[in-house]
Amino acid sequence: MTDNDNFPEDFMARLRTDARQLRFEPDEMMSARIAARVRERVAAESQAGIAQILARWFRPMVASLATLALVATLGIQWAEQSHDTPTIDSMAPAQSVDISVGGDTFSVE
Amino acid sequence: MSTMSMFEGAAAGSFALDRLVFGVEKAPTRSATNEDPIEARAIAAVKAGDAASYDYLVSKYMKRVVSIAWGVVRNAADAEDLAQEAFVKAFENIGRFKTGEPFGPWIYRIVTNLGLDVMKHRKRFRHEEITDAAPAERRDRADLPAISNELAERIDRGIESLPEMQRLVARLYLVEELGHSEIAAITGLSEGTVRSHLSLARGKLKEKLADLHGGGND
Repeated sequence: MTDNDNFPEDFMARLRTDARQLRFEPDEMMSARIAARVRERVAAESQAGIAQILARWFRPMVASLATLALVATLGIQWAEQSHDTPTIDSMAPAQSVDISVGGDTFSVE
Repeated sequence: MSTMSMFEGAAAGSFALDRLVFGVEKAPTRSATNEDPIEARAIAAVKAGDAASYDYLVSKYMKRVVSIAWGVVRNAADAEDLAQEAFVKAFENIGRFKTGEPFGPWIYRIVTNLGLDVMKHRKRFRHEEITDAAPAERRDRADLPAISNELAERIDRGIESLPEMQRLVARLYLVEELGHSEIAAITGLSEGTVRSHLSLARGKLKEKLADLHGGGND
């Protein structure tokens, strides 16, 4: 039987036994520090939870409404601008104009 | 550069944590059940909003999480920051944690990926540390309280000389004494890939440590 057929074999098993001491053991101070910091941050997270939930809902809603308002404003402005642009028809007087040239009177509609 | 600032840098472009925390995986892992009723109750309580119940999970997994973190970053201060960050991340994402599964593999996965992100960040900004390389190395060696003899030191050097994924898998298998399926769950690799990495690592370690373990006789 080769090594590959018997995996993990003796070599790895022995290595595993010897490598056990390479495991890093945090001392009590380190463990206490980590636990305290995690507790502090977790507590802060929980307190901020409601505000965050509201923010998570409201931020996209406000962003969507703001986008809609912007689009609407731009749309109205564009519509008004295009409505106000003078055309040949709109420039034409509503009533006919009489022009006298050399005694003759012409009526322009 | 502190580890916390490295987290910030790594977090911006990192998808590794999301990939592993949120369960988008290459390989499906064997579903394990939580056999610790206190742990299961603590998780349920935390999910229901009782943050104080999280203390149980932190104290239960503290040592192993710090050890795994240290194995990746090789520095006690960074391992401490990583462990802290991992527990906070796990708490933030506890809603996504599947009820009934053990917490261990999940938190190990988070800390491993945070560690790998930090290492990637370190590599990216290595030029800043070129002049400090020697002191950094000395600090790593000074942070090895467990290594009390030459044998362990040689094994450690052997593991450290392996390519990144082989090193990670070998450390989890040899030092943390985790099984193939657990390593697969932590790294997001398939069990077959874990075995393959271990097989390659074993070959290299056998060469390096032949005189210690009579590598040629197995």
